[in-house]
Amino acid sequence: MASLSLNLRGLASRLIPSGPLLQPITSKCIAAFSTTPTHPAPVDPKAAAAKAKLKASKAAAKAKKSKRKGAEEKDPKIIQMMRHFAAHNPKNIPPPLRMARNRYLRHWTIHRGWLMFRRKQREERERTLMRQYQSMSTACEELRLTNGPGTRDTGYLYRVAMEKKGVYGHKGIPIEYARAQTDTPAKIAWNHEWKR
Amino acid sequence: MASLRGVSRTARALPLSQLTRPAAPACVQQRRSNASAAAAAASPELQELEVNSTLSTPDLSPEEKAQFRPWKRAKDRQLNLPGSRYQYHPPKFTRGPLHPIQAPPASDPIARDFVPGPFNNPRLKQTYRSTISSDLMTLTYNHVIPGTPDREPAERLRTWEGDSPYFKNRPKRAPRGAPQLMVREKDITFRNIPELAEISVASYVPDCKDNPDMLLVARMALLAITGAIPEVTKNKTDVQGFGMRKGVRSGVKVTIYGHQAYEFLDRCLNIVFPRIKEWPGIKGSTGDSAGNLAFGLRPEDLALFPEIQGNYDMYPAKMIPGARVFIKTTATSDRQARLLMQAMGMPFYGSLKD
Repeated sequence: MASLSLNLRGLASRLIPSGPLLQPITSKCIAAFSTTPTHPAPVDPKAAAAKAKLKASKAAAKAKKSKRKGAEEKDPKIIQMMRHFAAHNPKNIPPPLRMARNRYLRHWTIHRGWLMFRRKQREERERTLMRQYQSMSTACEELRLTNGPGTRDTGYLYRVAMEKKGVYGHKGIPIEYARAQTDTPAKIAWNHEWKR
Repeated sequence: MASLRGVSRTARALPLSQLTRPAAPACVQQRRSNASAAAAAASPELQELEVNSTLSTPDLSPEEKAQFRPWKRAKDRQLNLPGSRYQYHPPKFTRGPLHPIQAPPASDPIARDFVPGPFNNPRLKQTYRSTISSDLMTLTYNHVIPGTPDREPAERLRTWEGDSPYFKNRPKRAPRGAPQLMVREKDITFRNIPELAEISVASYVPDCKDNPDMLLVARMALLAITGAIPEVTKNKTDVQGFGMRKGVRSGVKVTIYGHQAYEFLDRCLNIVFPRIKEWPGIKGSTGDSAGNLAFGLRPEDLALFPEIQGNYDMYPAKMIPGARVFIKTTATSDRQARLLMQAMGMPFYGSLKD
């Protein structure tokens, strides 16, 4: 939980709409289906009066400050950005989810199934790579012990195979292969004849 | 929600509260009890059976029924009763490994740092897993003759040698030629094929001491590009020549991992780089000799990202910054990282540094 301040449960990618849409709906949704009448917390009238007074004084001080600054208004685009970041403030992290027993068990089951699926995929991938590596190993071992074509001596083809000419250079990977896989690949991957 | 499991069936039949499940009507219940009584009377073996269940309670009198008002009891209660079963809630702060309440792992849906996913499979990742990984392994394959004994790794941290008795358990000296151990290139086998690990994007905005809004715009730009909330960085040193003071907030940085990193790289390679005017490629001398590459983007290049192009007018004029992008891979040398990036479609120019 070290990075809690920056991990707002995927909030960054969900741009929250600003303006009149951002209404606090939680106050209306408390105890939506309850039939028991709700009792708000007992309010101390003296404490409430003192709090209201403090709030009023703070607002007055803010108004005074803005008057003093004069016509130094912020660009509305900057204000929009500030509001966006205010929505991403760590104190506005939504509360963690709560689940009933069966709901949680369903999630746990599906999660374990997903992890098992991923494990199987991963192990299949690793096994494929291992097989490829081992087949290369046996092939090279075989080459190392065979007499080369014609008059070449033992292991000539092996030494040629171990050469890595140009692998780490500019043309290590042919440009036609240096593409991401797509559903509709181009018919001509790279047009070498193209001119401006 | 109060459960009335302890109450007898007859009492449950009455519609005492909206919360209780409406039980079977009384006639059906009577029919059941009559059936059981009839069966017992018919057969002699079942004579010894008790008809009435020992779990049932005697019927309530009308006065007792009138007194049973759980809604009134709840209403008149001044204080809330404590819960009867333990409810686990993830703690806001971890109070150490010995505390009885521990935070759940982030994969747990009730955890505070739960992030749902994944929702897509990036095409660069799919390409890497299906073709690039095996291609890299094959291209750089170095044969090891079966039966070669494992070589003892040479001691790179030097011990203090000499007459002095204080040299005996002294901490070892730094390796020759560098203050820290440098990463050594390892052969690519099926167990350690270079892969993209993370991407860091950083933007230094020293002009924000004149105009503090520039830092905000830089932060917004990086957020739009990467999708992760950037952190603000401070100056580490005083440099009088540039008018830099230590501790002043002057930059933003963000690091992205996994799918986010793959998609960012995909956008860079296929959208941003092709649109840069007279772009020669990534400099061949890039790299920190530990498998990480870096490149820079000017302000006009950063504006080519579709997330910024889409709402370009929302950014104040001339405030979009440039950025430095650091691509970190699991490669162990410059040339391995470069090979990985070339396979993904990143062109390099100039002399290549190893």
